[in-house]
Amino acid sequence: MPIIVQGLITILIGVGGCVGYFYLSNLALDKVIFPAKETPSRRLVGAIICLIIPLGLLFFLYVGPTVFGALGIGFLALSDVSTISALLAVAVFLVATFLLFKAFNTLFPAKGSSVGDNINRANAVRPWLFLFPAIFVLGLYLVYPVVGSFWRSLFGRNPNDFVGFGNYVSLAQSPDFRISFFNNFLWAIVVPAASTFLGLLVAQLTDKLSWGNIAKSLIFMPMAISFVGASLIWKFVYANDADIGLINAVRAMFGFDNPIDVLQIPFWNNFFLMVILIWIQTGFAMVILSAALRGIPEETIEAAILDGANPWQLFFKIKVPQIMATIVVVWTTITILVLKVFDIVYTMTGGNFGTEILPSYMMDFMFRDDGRATAIAFVIMLVVLPVMVWNIIEARKETR
Amino acid sequence: MFPTPVEKRPRATQLTYQTFLPLALILWLLPLIAVAIFSIKPGADFTNANYWGWPSSFEGFSNYGKVFFESQMPRYMLNSVLITVPTVIGAVALSAMTGFALGIYRFRANLWIFFMFVAGNFVPFQILMVPVRDLTLELGLYNTKRGLVLFHIAFQTGFCTLFMRNFIRQLPRELFEAARVEGIAEWRIFWYIVLPLMKPALAALSVLVFTFIWNDYFWAVVLTQGAESQPVTAGITSFNAQYRAAYHLMSAGSIVAALPPVAMFFLMQRHFIAGLTLGAVK
Repeated sequence: MPIIVQGLITILIGVGGCVGYFYLSNLALDKVIFPAKETPSRRLVGAIICLIIPLGLLFFLYVGPTVFGALGIGFLALSDVSTISALLAVAVFLVATFLLFKAFNTLFPAKGSSVGDNINRANAVRPWLFLFPAIFVLGLYLVYPVVGSFWRSLFGRNPNDFVGFGNYVSLAQSPDFRISFFNNFLWAIVVPAASTFLGLLVAQLTDKLSWGNIAKSLIFMPMAISFVGASLIWKFVYANDADIGLINAVRAMFGFDNPIDVLQIPFWNNFFLMVILIWIQTGFAMVILSAALRGIPEETIEAAILDGANPWQLFFKIKVPQIMATIVVVWTTITILVLKVFDIVYTMTGGNFGTEILPSYMMDFMFRDDGRATAIAFVIMLVVLPVMVWNIIEARKETR
Repeated sequence: MFPTPVEKRPRATQLTYQTFLPLALILWLLPLIAVAIFSIKPGADFTNANYWGWPSSFEGFSNYGKVFFESQMPRYMLNSVLITVPTVIGAVALSAMTGFALGIYRFRANLWIFFMFVAGNFVPFQILMVPVRDLTLELGLYNTKRGLVLFHIAFQTGFCTLFMRNFIRQLPRELFEAARVEGIAEWRIFWYIVLPLMKPALAALSVLVFTFIWNDYFWAVVLTQGAESQPVTAGITSFNAQYRAAYHLMSAGSIVAALPPVAMFFLMQRHFIAGLTLGAVK
């Protein structure tokens, strides 16, 4: 079976499932559960849904794996369900849905005064129909793992060995952890500041230029490349060899003949790694800030010029205060990103030479000591938390 | 026009401006340019220590040919496509629905559900790693493209919902109210009124999610292994291990891996930038 067809079938089932769910659930809500008027279709749709749910279940439990297996698409690992239990489940669901709809029919009849109530009830339930699939996947892959992670971090290397907060205590005592915490702190300060500043500078300088858009596209280019790709490219810049490394080539040009490995200079190597992320993120900051600069009302600038403001005053006293909100958004977005990025350190130095940051430090324990790895993850979570809470408060202010 | 355009300033300022800006630009792009030049050099240039000089012969075709026909790269690229496209469709479809619910309906838990999505956006993904890997193993989805797609959809839905909800909020409410007064079913409002109006947001979001997923390395390493299911970001690392000192092939491989998002960016530039500004400014 060609792989393209497999992909197409997956997409069709996904989209078809979404649309089908969406259409049928609304139909059930409006026509069967809380109907506004008694129609023959209530009975009909009710009967159809009574059949569809058990049949769907049957399909998922029993027929699905066989059919998909024959097509060469492995389904979720449910194919070991026995025939009897599958049929039993379907029978139970058939009876249950039938009784449920009977109950709805008597509880919320589409007659007299309960018609208006029915419409209100249907409208109260409807948002949840739209939300359910997303909340379900989010719960499965986000809420459960966060709780599970915390729980796991209370256990040692062996998942049955409860150590309480032992992992956190030993982390606090480890010098490596302190180094990576300090480095992370540096990253979180330097990278957002530098990217936002450079982005603002570029946005301002290219604002009134005829070829400004081309320049912006070019500066934005690093953003489209993955961190891994960027790291590879920068390996050529930093390589410890005057023939390959760009920096050492420039040094050789000026007459220094001993190549240095910039990634092994203690403390400063952190900054050389940060340059890579700044290089990537400046494009992001620039795009958003230049949109904000464009949005400044022209009159305020004209008024300032008429009052005799010089270019510096114009920029710092007139333009920057007006886009302050955007600058803050860009700053926090990059900060959150920085706290999570591990690819650059992981691929450039592997965390050696004192360049470890928390996410890459965590990778060292991943698959070896999950208790410790999850404990580090929770420390990262705690560091991100203030930024997150602050963002939610801001979002709340905005919606009011 | 205010402020004075560059063209009307003194000649000296103009000259410095016009020379320094391109110079800075070239410096900024130097790493990219260097790799592009490396990728068309013959392998002999590297053994003869002609690293930064002019390529002694144009070997672009044979280098890229090697990447495409003598390595696993096409396999990895196909995997990336098969992971990225379903994820984009799934995440955008789900978030259109949730965005619609959160943007239009007023109910008590609305704000809290919305905050849940926002918070999900900020949760460091490291915290999810161990449980998600275990869950994937239990579901029998470890080292499959489907497992990766399912997870990416779940993780991206948070960001996409944030984006969609803010967009739908900006649409005129009267439109839906008018439709409701006319007695149009809710799902028809969604399908025939909201979805067509959301087209720009859908385009911007698709481009954005495409780049995010294509460039993902972390989950590719955590949830898959081997050429049968790993995307190109993970594949490029093993490609480079295979051609350790062959810098021309490494460069060509990196460029091939980076090409789809870059091409996407240039083709859909308008949507891309619209997407970024929509998501962040408001």
